[in-house]
Amino acid sequence: MQLPQRKAVSSPSIDESNAPAQSSAFPRKSGAWHGAIAGLIPLILLIVMIVVVFILTAVARQLVAASGFFAQQQAALMVLITGLVLAVGVYIVALVFTFRRVAAWKQGGAVVQVRAALWALGVTALLVVLPVLLAIVLPQQPAP
Amino acid sequence: MSSGRSPSGTSTIEAVAVTTTEGHRVRRVIVTLLTISAILTFAYSALSIYIATQLVYAPQKPIYATPASLGLIFRYVTFPSREDHLQLRGWFIPGVLSSGRLTSQRTIIMVHGVRTNRADKGAGLLKLSVELARHGFAVLAFDMRGSGESQPAPLSLGYFEQRDVLGAVDFLRSGRLPFPELGRPRVITGWGVSLGAATMLLAAAQEPAIRAIVSDSAFTDIIPILEREVPKGSHLPQLFTPGALFAARAIYGVDFYAVRPVDVVASIAPRPIFFIQGTRDAFIPPSNMGDLATAARAAPNANVQTWLVPGATHAQSFNTAGKEYVDRVVAFYTATLGQDSSGT
Repeated sequence: MQLPQRKAVSSPSIDESNAPAQSSAFPRKSGAWHGAIAGLIPLILLIVMIVVVFILTAVARQLVAASGFFAQQQAALMVLITGLVLAVGVYIVALVFTFRRVAAWKQGGAVVQVRAALWALGVTALLVVLPVLLAIVLPQQPAP
Repeated sequence: MSSGRSPSGTSTIEAVAVTTTEGHRVRRVIVTLLTISAILTFAYSALSIYIATQLVYAPQKPIYATPASLGLIFRYVTFPSREDHLQLRGWFIPGVLSSGRLTSQRTIIMVHGVRTNRADKGAGLLKLSVELARHGFAVLAFDMRGSGESQPAPLSLGYFEQRDVLGAVDFLRSGRLPFPELGRPRVITGWGVSLGAATMLLAAAQEPAIRAIVSDSAFTDIIPILEREVPKGSHLPQLFTPGALFAARAIYGVDFYAVRPVDVVASIAPRPIFFIQGTRDAFIPPSNMGDLATAARAAPNANVQTWLVPGATHAQSFNTAGKEYVDRVVAFYTATLGQDSSGT
């Protein structure tokens, strides 16, 4: 079942065997999952990287705690900023790979995968901006 | 290229053609969304981190005078905070009895406010310390972490500073006191102003050795104050406050959301609390005192007194009420702790 899809991805021509394979309910579902997961990979990588960066920042803070506040601040900021920049880099690279994959699917006529991946990327865009949206939307009650 | 038909009847080529046109548009939209969301979130994070670094750092102000300048004997002390053992610097001022004898039987731990130190001129801290010492109370006035002459540390608005008050209690109970001839204090009490008052409440909730508390201008919860002050200080919109608070937690481990004296004040009972606040306090509105007193009175055996000082602005009750302030505080401590017996 996966084999025709892989063939479609690797070949730039439209594979006729792909269309009937997607038309049955189960392969369509499977193709959608495949596409969605591929589309979510950048987001998953970003979240994992950010969690690791926060853990490493806490570890760095603890490790240099004895050296005083300024050393502690410097270490924590260095780890946090470097980690976040790296996370953004990994996220961008993952997005580029995902779009390449989507292009290959499109060329192969794997419409279901393409749509699912693009939906997942749309969801990714929303989730990435969610902290900012929450900061705007969530009520604050400043003291008078 | 053959034009095969799917069972649904759509030509594959047609489907691909439609999808290609649609796909390009959708793809463009998604690339735009991804770019905008990444830029927005990255900029938000960067600014939040910057605000957090500004929020937790305050240059340490030098001490401008000592109790000796007001005619009192004192000695410098250094002791560690509880748990994280930061070195804190302060003064131990023995109480002076009417007979002229020195005493440390009833010792008051005095805690200053934010971005100042143990001699805080603005709130009249040194003068008040000296006044209380002249009424027979020994005073341990110290700089909280990151203030005055104490070890630099992030300003956590009570989250970590409560360890400093607990360190002061440990010092009085088991440290090397500067006047060994006076013995250890029979009772330890606390006085705090503004951040110091909130910190004192947080510490007293954990430490039963603090037998009575005077809380001058304490806040119930730091978050509404930060939600007002962070945009003012950073000149950025309010939406950056949650990001800055989250960044402060990531970088410094400070959880500002946990700084809520109102949640713990009831657990101080039956130990007495005297809440003081100025009626014209615009920084921490007087409603904070009302809320704290109500929360404290929720305990069945609560012992709570309040005093709204007419016309006093933030942390200015002592400067405004002067002698009346000292008389009321001395009366509160004397009523709750009893008289000094070392002179009899």
